[in-house]
Amino acid sequence: MATSYDAIVIGGGTNGLVTATVLAKAGKRVVVLEANDAVGGGQRALEFAPGFRADPVAPDAGWISPAVAAARGLRIDDLDLVWPEVSAPAPEGGMLTLSRDVAKTQEAIRRFSAKDAERWPAFTARVHRIAEFLGLLYGAPAPDVDTTSLGELFKLAGLGLKLRGLGKTEMIELLRNVPMAVDEFLDEWFESDLLKALIGTGGVNNLQQGPRSGGTTFVLLHHHVGNPEGAIRTRPVPRAGMGLLTSRLLELARGAGVEIRTGASVQSILVRTDTATGVVLTSGEEVGGRAVISSADPFRTLLVLLDPVHLDPELIHAVRQIKFRGVAAKVLLALDGLPDGGSSLGGIVSVAPSLTYVEKASDHAKYGRWSPEPWIEIRVPTVISPADAPAGKHAMVVHAQYAPYHLRDRDWSAERERFGDAVVATLERAIPGLAARIQSRTVLTPKDLESRYGYTEGAISQGELTLDQILFMRPVAGWARYQMPVPGLFLCGAGTHPGGGITGGSGLLAAREVLGRKA
Amino acid sequence: MANGYDAIIIGGGHNGLVAAAYLARAGKRVVVLERRPLIGGAAVSEQVFPGFTFSVFSYVVSLLRPEIIRDLELPKHGLHVLPLPSTITPLTNGDYLGSWDDPDKTRRDLSRHSPRDAEATVEFGQLMHHMAMAVRPILGMIPPDPTSLSPGDLLGLLKLSKHFRSLGSKHFHALYKLMTMSSADYLDEWFEFDALKATKSASGIIGTFLGPRSPGTAYVLLHHYMGEIDGAFRAWGFAKGGTGAISNAIGRAATALGATIRTGAAVTQVIVKHGRAVGVALENGDEISAPIVVSGLDPRRTFIDLVDSKDLPDDLLQAIRRFKFRGSSGKVNLALSELPNFTCMPGRGPHLRGAISMSPSLDYLEQAYDDAKYGSFSRKPYMDIVVPSMIDPGMAPPGKHVMSVFVQYAPYNITGGWDEQKREAFGDAVVNTIAEHAPNLKQAIIGRQVLTPADIERITGLSEGNIFAGELALHQLFFFRPAAGWAKYTTPIRGYYQCGAGTHPGGGIMGASGRLAALSILHGA
Repeated sequence: MATSYDAIVIGGGTNGLVTATVLAKAGKRVVVLEANDAVGGGQRALEFAPGFRADPVAPDAGWISPAVAAARGLRIDDLDLVWPEVSAPAPEGGMLTLSRDVAKTQEAIRRFSAKDAERWPAFTARVHRIAEFLGLLYGAPAPDVDTTSLGELFKLAGLGLKLRGLGKTEMIELLRNVPMAVDEFLDEWFESDLLKALIGTGGVNNLQQGPRSGGTTFVLLHHHVGNPEGAIRTRPVPRAGMGLLTSRLLELARGAGVEIRTGASVQSILVRTDTATGVVLTSGEEVGGRAVISSADPFRTLLVLLDPVHLDPELIHAVRQIKFRGVAAKVLLALDGLPDGGSSLGGIVSVAPSLTYVEKASDHAKYGRWSPEPWIEIRVPTVISPADAPAGKHAMVVHAQYAPYHLRDRDWSAERERFGDAVVATLERAIPGLAARIQSRTVLTPKDLESRYGYTEGAISQGELTLDQILFMRPVAGWARYQMPVPGLFLCGAGTHPGGGITGGSGLLAAREVLGRKA
Repeated sequence: MANGYDAIIIGGGHNGLVAAAYLARAGKRVVVLERRPLIGGAAVSEQVFPGFTFSVFSYVVSLLRPEIIRDLELPKHGLHVLPLPSTITPLTNGDYLGSWDDPDKTRRDLSRHSPRDAEATVEFGQLMHHMAMAVRPILGMIPPDPTSLSPGDLLGLLKLSKHFRSLGSKHFHALYKLMTMSSADYLDEWFEFDALKATKSASGIIGTFLGPRSPGTAYVLLHHYMGEIDGAFRAWGFAKGGTGAISNAIGRAATALGATIRTGAAVTQVIVKHGRAVGVALENGDEISAPIVVSGLDPRRTFIDLVDSKDLPDDLLQAIRRFKFRGSSGKVNLALSELPNFTCMPGRGPHLRGAISMSPSLDYLEQAYDDAKYGSFSRKPYMDIVVPSMIDPGMAPPGKHVMSVFVQYAPYNITGGWDEQKREAFGDAVVNTIAEHAPNLKQAIIGRQVLTPADIERITGLSEGNIFAGELALHQLFFFRPAAGWAKYTTPIRGYYQCGAGTHPGGGIMGASGRLAALSILHGA
């Protein structure tokens, strides 16, 4: 083996780069191996039509915790984060728009329900308080609940105290709300179907279940961690566009001394005398390293890249049981312009008139069919980053759910464009005149997301964020501390605690674990 | 108001009767006030058609706590449980899936469909046994209040965490999964044969308004496994004389211990003076006084109907208003001139002594749920069918039979509300679906009683017809049942207590709520 590193990081996405940067800053010699010809999120951007580029899978910056930022020397202020407005077209015409400004949002809601408008400030405060507690949980490895070690018990007791510190009402509400169905949760607050659908779709994002399923309130709250009070159903993006985050991450990694190799696709993880010693690339090249840290999902890492012969059958069984269940397709549209000048398309537009509509859409997924009337969510990143489309034109990214990875008695290659038609028809109903603007369209089904980006079952979540797959259960029970049973092999992707949407959260905790083990 | 009671129990359901018996056993002078002419609440036996006796609502027993049977000497007072030895599931291909009291026979039967599942079922049974054992101490525990810093509550929480840690990693993780997963997902990890998964997952949907693929249903599955640990291999059974016989046995035990039971005594209001319960007012205008008033009714009746809202704090009222009932099941009781003849197992086989489950596939159950989700009763419902007269011939005239059909889903909030026409259409859907598997059924029906959730509410008083006095959802269990801070059987009104299934540990003919409430009253008093 020609070269040997202290650490090899598989995959140059956000978590991979965070792990690499933190290790390099600790003096380690680190290489990041990225299969594509770009890293840092840029590896996902796609030129889907001549001159039109978009990243179909990373719509926002997620929560960059102060700890994650500090660990890699990122100044959050430099990113100038904004929380885009989120709107829903009303079936009777007009839009309901939520913005960070509580008073302004109250005015917007008042058109639909005066009662709901009154409740808005209390709702945003409640969500904020509960999300703050989740934020505390996400800054440390998942608590080891069945521990007997004294140190762990102290940590648990500390968490308990913090939970109590939230206040009696918040503590009860946190425990009570987390297992609830998001429609029940929102029914307790609001009456407007449109408002409940606009917020509640955040509880089923990338989940095969519908809004009447238990635990979907947790998903909603998870995606509010780090948001300032008032910012509901939106996630931060740099004012200058997501490209800024990508380039800053890369700069910081390089500045810390991380070596980045693009076009380096890992084929397998090398194990010698029961220890991970490096990787083999598809080119046949071997890269040696004292630690191998994978940002790929647990299934791909443990059962595809690693020869499962190194694992205990019980762990193999557990990894096979992880629910990935990609259920969303991404539809990329090249538009020759925006209807009504795009005034309403600067933020996010969620098309779902009611949670019943979303539930009905989810019913199809239960039986292995795609929804003829899907829930769709639209972004036009070129409103902020015009360089990603030819002058005056726009690239639109549509998240379309439910489109399950496993179709029953059907094949996605035959169904792809039929689903695309259903998405465009839904879009046209919500934003009349849009269909006529479409120059070209690319539909990425969960199958495509899997083959193009390596996400098992096309699940960009790297494992659904259901209650049975979070905290000490993520990725699987007993292996929630990043270190895998093969010494020297670690996971650092969103398939580990705290999971997707918590930018670099898994990466930082994994890096700390690597340093702890190596010290 | 000249009488000398120490305690009044509102409602002669089984939990009220258990509470009465335990209080009487401790020397209290107790009166039970029951609105209907017979005691039992939802555990009653009634002659619906001349000569045909039905367990009108609740129809099988397994969850009744053994310590109650022992403490109250229920066998001496007439409790006699007859085993329910099997379950068969008719399949769409004309075959059946059987589960018998002989484990070897069960395995052989299952091997025909899936040898792999036949193997897995042994280990699964062991795990569920462990899980039920793990939860058992919690059933006998007054829930601690996690928000309280009182020494008692902290000690309770400590004991609880010690208990969970004592399970060991493997069982702790399995229990956590049961608490959070859907029964379909949970069973998918174990089995491949669809009808087996559907039949097992059916017990995870009973009494909830959820489908087998909804998280939270795996816990209900466990709840129904609970009874199996205390008895023999298969502890589900019938009470001789119907479930009313259980209530009567508890009632006799309570009476023998000195309690008074009054039927036809509907309580309209709890009388509260200076923040303290002092008695109750009856529909006929009578008032009965006692320093302890215990409601065996569900949380909505206990806190909204029986007392003035000004006597309760707002947060409790709010919690009770949002407490979910959502009755989702109905009951069809049939008087039959002859036994049903199932095409998958013709004739008078041993299967008729057990349960017949209409659960051919997970999709079948899920589709039944879809109908209910959008406001209709299931056109093809899940059903649990038993023929009690096969085991207890006294239930029907010689040669004739009674058939009890538990049906899901029948939503309380059906679009447009329940009426005569919808009730009969629902009854037809039930009969037609069974008749597809037992073609002689229709001609055999002499009498048909159809009970929708609206009927269950009207007759038993259970809000929205929920058979568990409130859904067994994760956020409505343990210290949340019925409301955070009020899960220890007390209420904000001094002297006023709750003992119904709307408190921990909840529904089924278990009696644990009644017992824990009585213990809580006796220790607190």
